[in-house]
Amino acid sequence: MVMRKLGLRSILFAVVIHILVISAVADIKNLKIWPMPLSVSYGHRILQLSNEFVLKTEGSKYPDASGILKEGFSRLLDVIKVAHVVDANFSYEGPSPVLKGIQVVILSPSDELQYGVDESYNLTIPEKGNPAYAFLTAKTVYGALHGLQTFSQACHFNFTTRTIEVHQVPWTIVDRPRFSYRGLLIDTSRHYLPLPVILKVIDSMAYAKLNVLHWHIVDTQSFPLEIPSYPKLWNGAYSSSERYTVADAAEIVRYAGRRGINVLAELDVPGHAKSWGIGYPSLWPSKDCQEPLDVSNDFTFKVIDGILSDFSKIFKYKFVHLGGDEVDTSCWTLTPRINKWLKQHRLYGTTAYEYFVLRAQKIAISHGYEIINWEETFNSFGNKLSPKTIIHNWLGGGVAQQVTAAGLRCIVSNQDKWYLDHIDTTWEDFYSNEPLTNITNPEQQRLVIGGEVCMWGEHIDGSNIETTIWPRAAAAAERLWTAYDNIAKNPSQAARRLAHFRCLLNQRGVASGPLTGGGRAAPEEPGSCYEQ
Amino acid sequence: MIIKVTVIVHSDNDELQLGVDESYSLLVSKSNEHSIIGELSIEANSIYGALRGLETMSQLCIFDYGVKTVQIHKAPWFIQDKPRFAYRGLLLDTSRHYLPIEIIKQIVESMSYAKLNVLHWHIIDEESFPLEVPSYPNLWKGAYTKWERYTVEDAIEIVDFAKMRGINVMAEVDVPGHAESWGTGYPDLWPSPSCKEPLDVSKNYTFDVISGILADMRKIFPFELFHLGGDEVNTSCWATTPHVKQWLKDHNMTSKDAYQYFVLRAQEIAISQNWTPVNWEETFNNFPSKLNPQTVVHNWLGGGVCPKAVASGFRCIYSNQGFWYLDHLDVPWDKVYYAEPLEGIKSISEQKLVLGGEVCMWGETADASDVQQTIWPRAAAAAERLWSDKETTSSTNTTTAALQRLEYFRCLLTMRGVPAAPVTNFYARRPPLGPGSCYEQ
Repeated sequence: MVMRKLGLRSILFAVVIHILVISAVADIKNLKIWPMPLSVSYGHRILQLSNEFVLKTEGSKYPDASGILKEGFSRLLDVIKVAHVVDANFSYEGPSPVLKGIQVVILSPSDELQYGVDESYNLTIPEKGNPAYAFLTAKTVYGALHGLQTFSQACHFNFTTRTIEVHQVPWTIVDRPRFSYRGLLIDTSRHYLPLPVILKVIDSMAYAKLNVLHWHIVDTQSFPLEIPSYPKLWNGAYSSSERYTVADAAEIVRYAGRRGINVLAELDVPGHAKSWGIGYPSLWPSKDCQEPLDVSNDFTFKVIDGILSDFSKIFKYKFVHLGGDEVDTSCWTLTPRINKWLKQHRLYGTTAYEYFVLRAQKIAISHGYEIINWEETFNSFGNKLSPKTIIHNWLGGGVAQQVTAAGLRCIVSNQDKWYLDHIDTTWEDFYSNEPLTNITNPEQQRLVIGGEVCMWGEHIDGSNIETTIWPRAAAAAERLWTAYDNIAKNPSQAARRLAHFRCLLNQRGVASGPLTGGGRAAPEEPGSCYEQ
Repeated sequence: MIIKVTVIVHSDNDELQLGVDESYSLLVSKSNEHSIIGELSIEANSIYGALRGLETMSQLCIFDYGVKTVQIHKAPWFIQDKPRFAYRGLLLDTSRHYLPIEIIKQIVESMSYAKLNVLHWHIIDEESFPLEVPSYPNLWKGAYTKWERYTVEDAIEIVDFAKMRGINVMAEVDVPGHAESWGTGYPDLWPSPSCKEPLDVSKNYTFDVISGILADMRKIFPFELFHLGGDEVNTSCWATTPHVKQWLKDHNMTSKDAYQYFVLRAQEIAISQNWTPVNWEETFNNFPSKLNPQTVVHNWLGGGVCPKAVASGFRCIYSNQGFWYLDHLDVPWDKVYYAEPLEGIKSISEQKLVLGGEVCMWGETADASDVQQTIWPRAAAAAERLWSDKETTSSTNTTTAALQRLEYFRCLLTMRGVPAAPVTNFYARRPPLGPGSCYEQ
């Protein structure tokens, strides 16, 4: 008897799941939610959003002492009211019931934001009730924040009543991300990005449910960040006012964290580090051969240790990015002093590169970090890397396959599809890029922790970063968030929904470009936002 | 250390009209041996002058990376300031592309940084009619989509937001050309379904609608100036549509006469509702003696127009498209900077008739994604021309100094989150050519 009961229940459960999945697939055309949730069912009725729309947290185990949920709710109200002036005195007596508020139930009391934090949520919006409340449950506050983003996209301004309505009720949404690492790289070395610009990018990331800001802080061109242990490093900034204090960096981390976004700091060594030597010239092999960092000098590793020690007080994400890409070792062999050192240690260019990367890894590990390195490190000496290393792909396709076959974890950013500075790459290319291409073994699939779109800064500054990032980053965001079966097999099926999301970004003050053309293309002619 | 700013405003009137007193004086005293507390005070005749003073004060403030506080360098300061022209405008075009409210607010905010004081809102054109007009509720059916519209409350919000920053909003209803979108809601306004522009001059209904629009707008836009357009009127639809042609014949009018008749009748409507009409220069070029003497002529086609307009006793706004059309991407910052509204006008009394000038951000290829980097930094070059004393801005050896200050100002804009493009690129709104400091691009 017991077995039969269980059997029946699981059959029923299977039927329910089946219906949900079907509705998600069948009705995609009428949905305006980006990225597409795991499963959605919705109706065709309308609810009026109360002018005193409230947040209720009865039954929640999350105390919200830090106010993350309360702030998230307040941002929700801001974005749903941003597009038009809502009539505050409107007294509603129409046929649609009023949605009085949203009840948020969070199971975990913790607000720790770490890699792999549970981001799932369930959102139901009833079609009636007395009074009616939306119901949002989540394991963590960060899942709840995603649920609020989804809720915001179900809200629409009614031009007749001048109020906000929730369309297509009743809603039942079950949602969670496909990948736990969904990143966007910004580059503050090629051009300094002012603090408000970075904060605005973080806001817009949250709209697309991206959850890692990969901050490529330093490179050859400039060193904008304050490092208290080595206070001359930021002498390598472009100018005295193009710098970030420790407090600035902490503010970026704090601001992102309250939106469920981790900040991955990068210290790209030993190449891409010429600007370090402005403050400490002994880090250069020589005055006229300035990159990579001097491998022969213990001071080099002391500085790295100091930087990572300072990093560990600001950047609380469990990972740090140590770069390791595009290392041209000719300065080492050409500089007599270093060449001599290489010979003494029976090293040559490639093995010295390996020595450098591995020594930097050990330093980072000693500060409690796990390491991410660009793929060249894997391509050159993959079997020597710390087994906890995450390999960050960029050069081309097929790397994740090799990395995961070797048992290492991988982040996908193949430049032909996910480099935002390639402005000829269309949103369709971004959308179609599948991180698990040719990876069929589930063990290996699990080692692909996600992907990242990269906004390299050679031609990017405060004037054009948003329009180069959006809407193409949103296309990748859906690829990274949405269950594989729900992703449009042909990007054209997602075009209307993405156009809608792009216009939503515009309404919220984000300078997202048109879908047509590649990155940051101006609209070609007059027309509707929804058609361009 | 400065612990407070003393602001003294002499007038309790916060009405914002053309010619409101925007002058101010700003004093920053140095701390002395008696006190480490410095003093900062701003004195102005009107609250709007005080706002200009606060903007200037913000530009004296510099973050010190050593002590991590904001400092005012080079104290003591004493600044006395007032604008050269009363009208310092920026045109936005929400017909070619809808601009969301949030974007318009961002732009208004940035205008105040450059002390611009008129937002010329070219609301409607042939492509779309995004504004709600309660008297004729079908008009905004001419919007691109139902989402790309402004309610009356939205428009009021923009006017209020601008006023808080000392910026007037001048609305434009561009008639009789540039109005095809009106007919989506009211097809009777078209000469015929196959010939849709200009508005049908032969029907009283056309003028009823104009009157209704202006009456509704009067409740939204308190500024005394109202722009009636009147540019680029191709009257061939009138001459080829039988019922309009017949009407012309009955009234013994040529198409050109009808154009004049239309503009003057629209002017009468505007004046009867207590507006001062502004018209694009074609109206002046075609029938200067017939225009209402209150008319403000808005130059755009080329140079030499304001001299003629003021010689005829009209007031004038300078927007020579060769320099001050921001959609002309190949006009470099220095061409914008050196354009001179008073060029060719010698007599002082005639110079006084030039209210100022305006940079125009036509929207064919400008939407929410690129409008701000097309406006800035070039609009700031014009803003200095319109604000600052001629002597300090006009000799060619000021170029280096002006460029340096403009590059600094564009970085200030980006520091405040405004997407202002590099100053010296050949084409406007293009990306920086390569890595580098904001201050050198």
